[in-house]
Formats: sequence, structure tokens, C-alpha cells
Amino acid sequence: MADVNQVPKHEVIIVGAGPAALSAAIYTTREDIDTLLFERGVPGGLAAITDWVDNYPGFAEGIAGLELAGNLQKQAERFGAVIELGEVLKIHDEGEWKRLETTSGDMLARAVLIATGSDYKKIGVPGEQEYYARGVHYCATCDGAFYRDKRLVIVGGGNSAVQETMFLTRFATHIDLLVRSTIKASDVLQKELQKYVDDGKVTVHLGTTTDEIVGENNSVTKVVGTQDGKKVEFPTDGVFVFVGLKPNSEFLEGSGIELDHIHLVKSDENLQTNMPGVFVAGDIRSGATMQIASAAGEGATAALKIREYLEGHTHPVQN
Amino acid sequence: MVKNITIFTTTTCAYCPMVKKYLGAKGLKYDEVNLDENPQRQQEALAISGALTVPVTVITKQDDTKEVVVGYNLAKLAPAVA
Repeated sequence: MADVNQVPKHEVIIVGAGPAALSAAIYTTREDIDTLLFERGVPGGLAAITDWVDNYPGFAEGIAGLELAGNLQKQAERFGAVIELGEVLKIHDEGEWKRLETTSGDMLARAVLIATGSDYKKIGVPGEQEYYARGVHYCATCDGAFYRDKRLVIVGGGNSAVQETMFLTRFATHIDLLVRSTIKASDVLQKELQKYVDDGKVTVHLGTTTDEIVGENNSVTKVVGTQDGKKVEFPTDGVFVFVGLKPNSEFLEGSGIELDHIHLVKSDENLQTNMPGVFVAGDIRSGATMQIASAAGEGATAALKIREYLEGHTHPVQN
Repeated sequence: MVKNITIFTTTTCAYCPMVKKYLGAKGLKYDEVNLDENPQRQQEALAISGALTVPVTVITKQDDTKEVVVGYNLAKLAPAVA
């Protein structure tokens, strides 16, 4: 057990710095609750690498994901939130204190908010790993510019796949969108996509699996799939994959915090996990709707529940 | 010791400002090549990094040896600019 006098202490440590985490931090820091956030990637999370966000309330014309993320970060920092660039490796329940093993050493917190969100899943086909970042990509806003005047294949049929397909049309001459079953994106996005289909910029291939990414001379040349039981090939210069989300909950394995069957974190009606004083919000929470707006709302709710928890359990931290 | 630093970026890349912010916090100056504004330099970035991605940070040391950090990777970037 860590000696509480030797280890940096905070009232609240938030694991992650996406919309749920930053919204929670806005609420806790405005109430002078000492709050530290840990982010291993980019503040804003997946929202920051999303080209355009059209359904976050308050932005009539939509907003770039990067700008939204930057605004959330600035707002949280304005009230005193501190974002540490690093990773939380383990959480241990030590009663009044939770001990976090981090890349910056051990830290103690009276309350913890898990808001680690998700990353894009891989499809797990031959060629995917081999050509990673050399023809296979998961971030359109990062890597799309390398495909100016080239052909692309995009794999997926959800909101992200459709949104990023439309973004990538600004670079690519043509995009083949490979959808395993049917398009699951919202009606609004599907209607927008149709304009690009009508213009000949995008061809949608429904009921098409992606079986292999093939290349030669260190470059991707085609995607091999199956459609109606027949082998099909799509010549391409690159592939972007948006086939769903993988929860960032590996660090919780063995912690005693309960996960559901797809490794999302279970919580009660107060967004508290089965470890007292450890809360969860956003895409990582079992039952979450995977929307930026709902993540932000959950972050605010979690902050209020954390305040109640702290008022009932603790005295202010004295470092 | 670092002699100079060049970062290849794009306008929409979320990880690029993170690298710039990190270097700025360390008091390190850098040159930025935005590949949206300079698409003719994409091949240069690819040749240096072997990857079709940004950010690519090229750190030239005093002895003119170079270290290349692909992506926002503090585990590699921090020792490279130390």
C-alpha cells in the first residue's frame, strides 16, 4: 500500500481527456475541486480527429472536431484543470484513496473518473498490419492529404465511415465504400453521401466483405473482397478503416472494476462503478450511446455525482 | 543537443498541434512544413518517415545526425529532443 505522505494527491483524477472527461473537469474545477486529467493521446479523443461534427448542440452550422476539442480543453483549463500527457496503467482501491499507477509514477485520488473512450477497431485481415500507415489508415484528418488525386477504398458503413468518406473526397479522385451489410449511418449522413454518389465520386458496395489488402513494392494496390459469394477486387492506392470502436479498458483488467461482455465499464444510476469512488462516463461506459453530446452530458453528471461522493466521504486534499 | 527541428503537418491533423505544443513547452524552436500548403513536399515526408502520415518530426542533432519521430509519440519524441 502506498504511503499517502509520499505520493502526489488529488481530489479527482480523470482518466482520459475527451469530451466526457473535459466536461467533467469544467464542472469539478469550477467548484474548486482539484482535478488532474491523464491523456495518452490527444485531448478531445476521437472527436479531435473527426473532420466535422454536425450534431453537437449549440453550433448551428456544425464545427470541426479539432476546434470543438480545442474549445473544450480551453474551457476546462480556464477553470484550472490540468492535463498531464501520460497514461494510467492500473487502478487500486485503497479505501478512502484510489492509487493510480501512471507513467508519471503513483498518484492518489479520492475519486476517479474513467473516461477513456474508444479507439477505432481493426478489421483483422491479411495486409492490414503489414501496410499500416503505408496504405492502411484509421485517421482521415491525419493522413487523407497523402491521397490527393488518388483512389481510395473505405471500409465501414457507420456514421464515422460515411462522414470520413465525404471528407476524403476533397483529396481522392474516387472512393469505393465497402459495407459488409447495409449502411448504418444516420439518415442525414446517408442523404449527404448520396450527393457524392450521384456525382460519381463515391461508389457504395453493399454486402461486401473485406478479405485482404494487397500490395506490391511497399504500396497498397488493391483490396480483395467477397460480394454475393464471388471474389471482387478494388484497385486502390490506400485504405481507410472505420468499422466500429474498441473500448480503451485494457488497463482495468484485474482491477476488480466490472466490465460487460464487450469490455465496457459497468456502472450504477450514479455512474459509479462497483469500486466505490470510481465513476465512469462517455463511450467507455456500458450502455453509452457513443455520441459526443451524450458523452459531454455524462461527464457533467459524473462530476456532480463525484462532488456528492466527496462531500460525503472526504476532507480537502493537503499536499 | 538539438540543432534544428522540422515538423511535417497537415491543417486538419489533431496530433500535429500536440507535437508543436510539446516542443513549445520545452522552449524548442521548429520549422513547420504544412503538406496541405506544400503538397509537393509529400514525397519528401514519405521518404524520411516511410509512412503516409503526419506528424513527422525530424530532429537534427549538432553532429548532423537525424532522428525521425512518426506520429505523436512522446516516448520517442522526449528523448530525441532531450
